[in-house]
Amino acid sequence: MRNLTLIPTVAITAIALASPLGAAQKNGAIAQDFKLTDANGKTVQLSQFRGKNVVLEWHNPGCPFVQKHYESGNMQATQAAARKRGAIWLTINSGAKGKQGHMTGPEVKTLLKDQGSKPTHYLLDMKGVVGKAYAAKTTPHMYIINKSGKLVYQGGIDDKPTANKAHIAGARNHVAAALNELNSGKKVSVASSRPYGCSVKYAS
Amino acid sequence: MKFDSPILSILLAFLFIAFALPVQAQNKLGSTELNVPARLIAESQQVQAGQSVTLAFVMEPKPAWHGYWENPGDAGIGMSFEWDLPAGVTAGKAQFPVPDTLLISSIMNYIYKGDYAVLVNLVISENTPLGSTPISVKSEWLACTDEICVPEQDELSITLQVVSPDAAVSLDNAFNDYRNAMPQPLGSQATFSSSNDVFRLSVPLPADVDVDDPYFFIKEDGIIDYAAEQRVNRDGDRLIIETAARGDSLDKITGILKIGDKMGFSLDAAKGDVTMAGIPIGGGNSGNFGGGGGQNNTSLLFLALGGAIVGGLLLNLMPCVFPILSLKAISLAKAGGDESIVRRDALAYTAGVVVIATALGAILLGLRASGAAVGWAFQLQDPRIIFVLLALVTAIAFNLAGMFELPNISMGSKLTEKEGPAGSFWTGALAAFVATPCTGPFMAAALGAAIVLPPIAALLIFAGLGVGLALPFLLIAFVPAIRKRLPKPGAWLDSFRKVMAIPMFLTAIGLIWLLGRQIGSDALSLTLIFMLAVALLLWWYGVGQLKGGARGLVTTGAILITVVGGIFALPNDEQMTVRQQAAAATETLPSEPFSETRLAELRAANQPVFAYFTADWCITCKANEAAAVQRQETADAFEAGNVAVLMGDWTRPDPVISKFLEQHGRAGVPLYLYYAPGQEPVILPQILTVGTLTDLVNTPVETASTL
Repeated sequence: MRNLTLIPTVAITAIALASPLGAAQKNGAIAQDFKLTDANGKTVQLSQFRGKNVVLEWHNPGCPFVQKHYESGNMQATQAAARKRGAIWLTINSGAKGKQGHMTGPEVKTLLKDQGSKPTHYLLDMKGVVGKAYAAKTTPHMYIINKSGKLVYQGGIDDKPTANKAHIAGARNHVAAALNELNSGKKVSVASSRPYGCSVKYAS
Repeated sequence: MKFDSPILSILLAFLFIAFALPVQAQNKLGSTELNVPARLIAESQQVQAGQSVTLAFVMEPKPAWHGYWENPGDAGIGMSFEWDLPAGVTAGKAQFPVPDTLLISSIMNYIYKGDYAVLVNLVISENTPLGSTPISVKSEWLACTDEICVPEQDELSITLQVVSPDAAVSLDNAFNDYRNAMPQPLGSQATFSSSNDVFRLSVPLPADVDVDDPYFFIKEDGIIDYAAEQRVNRDGDRLIIETAARGDSLDKITGILKIGDKMGFSLDAAKGDVTMAGIPIGGGNSGNFGGGGGQNNTSLLFLALGGAIVGGLLLNLMPCVFPILSLKAISLAKAGGDESIVRRDALAYTAGVVVIATALGAILLGLRASGAAVGWAFQLQDPRIIFVLLALVTAIAFNLAGMFELPNISMGSKLTEKEGPAGSFWTGALAAFVATPCTGPFMAAALGAAIVLPPIAALLIFAGLGVGLALPFLLIAFVPAIRKRLPKPGAWLDSFRKVMAIPMFLTAIGLIWLLGRQIGSDALSLTLIFMLAVALLLWWYGVGQLKGGARGLVTTGAILITVVGGIFALPNDEQMTVRQQAAAATETLPSEPFSETRLAELRAANQPVFAYFTADWCITCKANEAAAVQRQETADAFEAGNVAVLMGDWTRPDPVISKFLEQHGRAGVPLYLYYAPGQEPVILPQILTVGTLTDLVNTPVETASTL
């Protein structure tokens, strides 16, 4: 029952800070700042993480392509490795109410627990404002923002666009590779790739 | 393969089960069957060793579900194939039909909604052993609704019979439909540019090829923003597409240009400079103009409207219109004293002209929307309408010549007073209808614009044409100074009227010529007999008028019957088609329609044969025809050499021609073949000259065959 108190705060959704929105973000440019409410009702702002690498992951638990990476443990492993090296991991759900994958705060907490997923924050973007500002097209769709707030990677989680778990082993994990490169002070060699998965279930 | 160890067999069996289980689990997840089920079929179960056979993955999405094109767009996944083929059998690249777009919340999907088939060619090498050959393929694809996606997969198999090269093979006709849904190879290369976030593609496509809601599906990712709007311009024989670029750069791209439902061209484009030129097509699906980003359309509209009004004004001088108008003008002037009556009549006349011009325009747009390839004066493509128009023009000519009187267009003094606004309205309507044959050359540009503008704007242009046509009347009615300058009616008017019969008869002769071209001289003679009957009836009516009798009702009935009889006596569609084929023989280089039977006959008769394959949308074909094929020198040389000419028209996909092109290693047109008697055919170069063709006949056959 104590979860009930969360509902009103969860209902406060995306407030993006700058306008205009809607255009895709460009690599090398300062990533669009935003404010979203997380599953615990806490307001999280992107710019508060300056000085750390930030990973954005677009999520929809109902999508078979997301399931591929969670049921295999691939996403959790990537996440754990990233957080261990000091990166911030923001999982964002832009699924609108009534659409596949939409979740409330309590549902999110149950799911994270069940799947052993530990993002820094799980952000709710049910109006799709942030999703559209980043032109997030698919779930998963991954972005990496470096310590100075610049976008350094956008695209898929890896280079094997299938829903088959068997294909994870032989794939290049673009996010893990990019974070490794950032940590050793190198330039991200694959800065963009084709995202693959289900379309983000926006409200409109 | 044989396994000696039983343990190995058991191990393999387990492995098989382990692999098979997830497949089943996947298919049975949630629902008991696939949402986009696939069937694998072969065009023929038997295949000759050394030949190829086409397989089809027939995909049958359930209602609301869709599958994806090879480039799925922003989200989704294309189809994958993992073949398990016996030695000697190789699978080609999968060929996908022309896809559709599906935009959901600014995420673009390239999809197939209804049933579709993906084709793959299998090549069976010559030394493949005869008998059963099992083919199996594991395929994965994504099935989605607008809401959810399910990855699906299936293991499909089929057993082919490899037969000897002389054994009979029967083909499945369903494959003709599958092939018809495939894009046709455009043949000529397109050009693209990508800079400053703008992607442009220039596609060579003849100006008279109809396109409906064109869209470019690009195969390579990262080049364009799929969800961005595609603006399409038509610039002569080029189609230019402009959309947002995504920044990646390549030297060559490929894709499909869609120009209608399940119709499109596959094309390659090389990097180059492309500038936006020409006239925009459509304005999206919205019927409004002047709204967001409609600047160009609005100025185009005003330009076209101005052109239409000027064109309409000039029409007053055309031989088919001037007689009616000049006399009508004088009659208006005659009413001189009563300003209000003059104005009322002029307005009624204007209304008649504008209503008919707009109505003709509306019918034209309606026909085009329903897919008919028509242009202005489209009604003159139908011999029945020409016949009715001919009857009308002939009647008017005889009326002007004084053979009889008719209230509506009569200048007879006693009838003038009876002419109310209704009479003026119908005179206007008549003038607009009769004017259409003369419209073409003056109006081509403005009416061309009308066709590319949204419907409401287009109708405005047709109305503008009417206003232009009625303008002199409005001036006469509303500017007394002009009216005063018109000559006063008198005895001279009767002579003037008779002289005016001459241009009217000339118009009738023009229509007879046009009709003759369409239906041939035999059918034309019959039609002219009906015309004579109409003239005789009018004469009889005129005699009655002189005697003061009333033969109006009888005459109207009799003429109506005659005209209807004349329409029925016209050749039907089937005869027209035969005629048109014969008409092809009046080209500089006459040809027969291509068929393999005809080719075999000619070859058996030891006659040299030139076979060419063309399509209306193929710019290279048209250029070659103009420069080399349809030339007097070529025709003379071929006639001297007794060369038979066969022409295959691939404007619409034709399975027989497709197959023939394929056999000659071509995916599309043009293809030029020369068969010297008793020799293997020579494939001529894609760019022809008169010399290339005349040399075929003039030089010894040996030289030609080494080309």
